[in-house]
Amino acid sequence: MIDKTKQIIVYGADWCPDCHRSRGLLTDLNISFVYIDIDKNQAAKKKMLDLTGGRNVIPTIILPDGKILQEPSNQELEAALGVNLKQTAQDKEYIYDVIMIGGGPASLTAAIYTTRERIETLILEKGVVGGMAALTDVIDNYPGFEEGVTGLDLADHLQKQAERFGSKIDYNEVTSITIEAGNIKRLKTTNGDLLAKAVLIATGSDYKKVNIPGESEYFARGVHYCATCDGAFYRDKKIAVIGGGNSAVQEALFLTRFASHIDLLVRSSIKASDVLQEKIDELVSEGKITVHLQTKTLAIEGENNEVKRVLIEDGSSNKSKLEVDGVFVFVGLEPNSKFLVDSIIELDDIGFVKTNDNLETAMSGVFAAGDIRSGATMQIASAIGEGATAALKIRHYLEG
Amino acid sequence: MLKSVTIFTTNTCAYCRMVKKYLSIKGVLYDEVNLDENPHRRSEAQQLSGALTVPITVVTKIDDTKEVIVGYNLARLAPAIA
Repeated sequence: MIDKTKQIIVYGADWCPDCHRSRGLLTDLNISFVYIDIDKNQAAKKKMLDLTGGRNVIPTIILPDGKILQEPSNQELEAALGVNLKQTAQDKEYIYDVIMIGGGPASLTAAIYTTRERIETLILEKGVVGGMAALTDVIDNYPGFEEGVTGLDLADHLQKQAERFGSKIDYNEVTSITIEAGNIKRLKTTNGDLLAKAVLIATGSDYKKVNIPGESEYFARGVHYCATCDGAFYRDKKIAVIGGGNSAVQEALFLTRFASHIDLLVRSSIKASDVLQEKIDELVSEGKITVHLQTKTLAIEGENNEVKRVLIEDGSSNKSKLEVDGVFVFVGLEPNSKFLVDSIIELDDIGFVKTNDNLETAMSGVFAAGDIRSGATMQIASAIGEGATAALKIRHYLEG
Repeated sequence: MLKSVTIFTTNTCAYCRMVKKYLSIKGVLYDEVNLDENPHRRSEAQQLSGALTVPITVVTKIDDTKEVIVGYNLARLAPAIA
């Protein structure tokens, strides 16, 4: 077995596919290495040629014991290292202290606490680390940032802090949780099974669809659910934003940096915070945003794969059409709990996970925190608080 | 085998950051086209993907065949760069 504390050196070049392959294998095996591009470092190239007796072949891999491999196949490299990917895969049967499902603020915070307590922690994320918070442009109400903080920055800091204490993050999706002998939880994932003594469910929620004609047809071609991702395509264009809650208003405000005009389509009345409401009022008076209250959006229409207009109905049942180039939908949240439907973990009527006062679900040793928890307030500060609480409850459970 | 990888991104897109991070972990070098800084290339991104979204990852193989991956989609990205 290779001594992972000593460095492996890989000499290669950007254009060399076998160099990419060897580096990819080392990464998959979780073996660290130093990569040197010989096109960019002539001194290193000379050293490589000295070491290899003038053989100008890449990748050239120098192992910690001085052994030199040139253009090795994956099998040759694995044999020289004394490891193989199959063996690594079998290591997945290892039982983690805690596996956290979802990589948003709740689990990243919980992981900071558990790893500082030397509780081995694996976080599984199927999408974006930082969760929905990372998709938010600016978070104005998270304490400690007097000027607000971008979702990406907050997510980055949380991730780095969790990783500093030893949290591991894997990118795959959990499809079910079952409990086995000895209270061990088996998580089926898109990348095989994983075992843990305790589990934290922190899968959060996603934006709902509005379920109207044209919505699916024009998805990503005029209908969007992520302003920070797709807003840039609507520079100097007209947009409709559907929704009237905090998210819809905040996203509409963000989109004003691109769009020439925004129609905010609100089914009843705006339910955003006073601060957001004031900002909207300013933009309404500037003519940048038009708010349509008591307005149902009935359909999204287009031609030649492009959105052209939305069909709306006002409170007096009068129908009309608004010419727009794109539609952004923010009509509420739905829980990411489909993978729990067949488990013994109880969900509420909407699909959020029920917990007791200890944030523990109906399955012993499985906890829930953040937006996925029934009764959650859908605030980042709350999710972070719940993450900390859940970590302490998990520690207590593991101490048994 | 890969010839080149190009990612179309924006400054505020979290999924773009995930794609870049994934490619870095895998040791894959890529060119980035930031559409906030290069707005004139938005139509190119749209033509390649048929979508008004980022990230768009264009994987060009050594035989010049191209695979275009819309969004942070590991199910397609992982085999494309393998």
